[in-house]
Amino acid sequence: MDLAFTPEEQAFRDEVRAWVRSNLPPEISHKVHNALRLTRDDLQGWAKILGKKGWLASGWPQQFGGPGWTAVQKHLFEEECALAGAPRVVPFGPVMVAPVIMAYGTPEQQQRFLPGIASGEVWWSQGYSEPGSGSDLASVKTRAERVGNKYIVNGQKTWTTLGQYGEWIFCLVRTSNEGKPQTGISFLLIDMKSPGVTVRPIKLLDGECEVNEVFFDNVEVPAENLIGEENKGWTYAKHLLSHERTNIADVNRAKRELERLKRIAKAEGLWEDQRLRDQVALLEVDVVALEMLVLRVLSAEKSGKNSLDIAGLLKIKGSEIQQRYAELMMLAAGPFALPFIEEAMEAGWQGDFPGGSVAHAPLASTYFNMRKTTIYGGSNEVQRNIVAQTVLG
Amino acid sequence: MDFDFSDDQQQLRDAVRKWVDKGYAFERRRGIVAAGGFDRAAYGELAELGLTALTVPEQHDGMGQGAIDAMVAMEELGRGMVLEPLAQTFIASSVLSRYAPADVQAAWLPRIASGEALVVLAHQERKARYRLDVCDAKAAATPTGYALTATKSIVPAGDQADAFLVPAQLDGKLALFLVERAANGVTTRGYGTQDGSRAAEVQLANAAATLVTKDGLAALELAVDTGIAATCAEAVGVMDQTVALTVDYMNQRKQFGVAIASFQALRHRVADMKMQLELARSMSYYASLKLGAPAPERRAALARAKVQLGQSMRFVGQQSVQLHGGIGVTDEYIGSHYFKKLTQLEMMFGDTLHHLGEVSARMQDTAGVFA
Repeated sequence: MDLAFTPEEQAFRDEVRAWVRSNLPPEISHKVHNALRLTRDDLQGWAKILGKKGWLASGWPQQFGGPGWTAVQKHLFEEECALAGAPRVVPFGPVMVAPVIMAYGTPEQQQRFLPGIASGEVWWSQGYSEPGSGSDLASVKTRAERVGNKYIVNGQKTWTTLGQYGEWIFCLVRTSNEGKPQTGISFLLIDMKSPGVTVRPIKLLDGECEVNEVFFDNVEVPAENLIGEENKGWTYAKHLLSHERTNIADVNRAKRELERLKRIAKAEGLWEDQRLRDQVALLEVDVVALEMLVLRVLSAEKSGKNSLDIAGLLKIKGSEIQQRYAELMMLAAGPFALPFIEEAMEAGWQGDFPGGSVAHAPLASTYFNMRKTTIYGGSNEVQRNIVAQTVLG
Repeated sequence: MDFDFSDDQQQLRDAVRKWVDKGYAFERRRGIVAAGGFDRAAYGELAELGLTALTVPEQHDGMGQGAIDAMVAMEELGRGMVLEPLAQTFIASSVLSRYAPADVQAAWLPRIASGEALVVLAHQERKARYRLDVCDAKAAATPTGYALTATKSIVPAGDQADAFLVPAQLDGKLALFLVERAANGVTTRGYGTQDGSRAAEVQLANAAATLVTKDGLAALELAVDTGIAATCAEAVGVMDQTVALTVDYMNQRKQFGVAIASFQALRHRVADMKMQLELARSMSYYASLKLGAPAPERRAALARAKVQLGQSMRFVGQQSVQLHGGIGVTDEYIGSHYFKKLTQLEMMFGDTLHHLGEVSARMQDTAGVFA
């Protein structure tokens, strides 16, 4: 047992750090460090910079154009990006659909879709949830009917994150009503520019349109866009979820945000306030414990000796930590978190924020926004069901 | 970065587990509790397993193993709620081999390794609570060495141990001494503690003492940090077993015609217990892995670990009782003894609030496993 990274891993970290420092545009990291609004261009701009270097596909094997990194290297890369203030990679393409295409797609599908994902050129969205299918995902109703060499898709997806920018969407669609709900689902790739696709943004409680409804009205999808076999989509979807392991804990971002919380507490003159400080200390313990948990998972993957099936725990703890730091930042600002001035969340705003500190502008919005983390990606209650299943049978 | 155990460590685990299962069954433990809470014969069996020699350096007839080996042993002893205080032996080995003069090492370490001598830390004073720098005990130089006057409380197996490691003020500074229980001026008053183990009040009235080090606070901090790491590991073993017992019970106990393990409200509680257990295990690893770090880093890490373990122990213990229902609060059932063990371990070497204060006072701009 040993806590230290190997000299090779340390050298790798240094290389990544140097590269990120000289390639991450400062105007983007400024926004990330201060929780200011990121535009589509910010997100995709950084994705393309990574794509050019070959690092957007950080979890891919070399045969598909990835760097072939180990789980530890990937973790170090993500940590360096997060601490430097890089935006989180929008996961739907490189992290979510790509592994499914690699595992179950045809060589033609792989050649057609993977390069655009790896380069960051093509924006992918996720079409899983429906108005009637949240935690009970297997109940999806969006229907795909095979007609000749096409599918005709009708239905509605929702909570589609950043779907307003999406060019392609991977969807779970119902192709059969026979048998158990899981057995009639297929995994379909749909061009969002197809006639009949309508995207309607949903305004959330923080005022932002981060998610969307996506409507399908007799949308024609070529049968060649089906991944794998018809009615086997549930298996592929589960494969996708298995790729969301340490990633979902987002511990690296938590470390960065803990630093920001401390900066805010100091700026507010609260660093010597024992009541707040102890709450920050508790969060610090949580973050270190989560990082240890993540490192244990990475070590288990590396050695292959002891599998550690605790992805559910990582999701629960990681999301609770995200909510907690957002909450403490807002509370640290006190009443000055209350003014809702949307322009003040844009970089470079020159106005006069009430109380004099524009750093307060996004704190309440971030707090509100973070309530999503215990809901999405399998709600924390669903995660508890999964954990309990592994413990209790 | 590697969290796998070596083959030797796995063998150590298997050997200790086997002894706990076969040699330290609950009925034997119950007998030891009734007889006072410490059994020299059982301590001798730990020595036969090689555990008392585990972290003693090889030149003093020890096995020269490290903190992870100690952790493995403590986890397994925790599983069986072993009463004999092996953590104290790890403390004595660590402090003496790091701080004591060569002749003191040569006189004591081989006897500690063989199990012949049980040496325990006697540092608790009424006013100090968990603070290590608060100490009224006084030491004075004598023609042949030193004499100590002190009242120390809740000393593990204090009326059975062979010698004490005692912090005391010497010329206005904290120093650490070794005092033999058989020395003139030593009186002890033994009693049981909440978890069934044994402790004692130890009075020293001009008792003859050997100087371990004049760097007393640093040595005491190492002693306590070694104790924290051992306690964390022990607690992981206790919690592992507590969760396992609870799971078995829930699958077997029927109400409303079904196993209570089928109720979602209870299942989620078990998921939360599993969370606390795995966070605790992670931080127990962290504690032992940081035990060899420079003192400031080590102290900060051990305080973090104890905060996590303290929270986990309280949650797992309380929820286990609740999930068992009435049976969980009976003396007859083993589960209540695990709960009491966890409660006591939370309060050993600084409770959760104390260590939260330590973490809070030591916070830096950045934080993580490596900082």
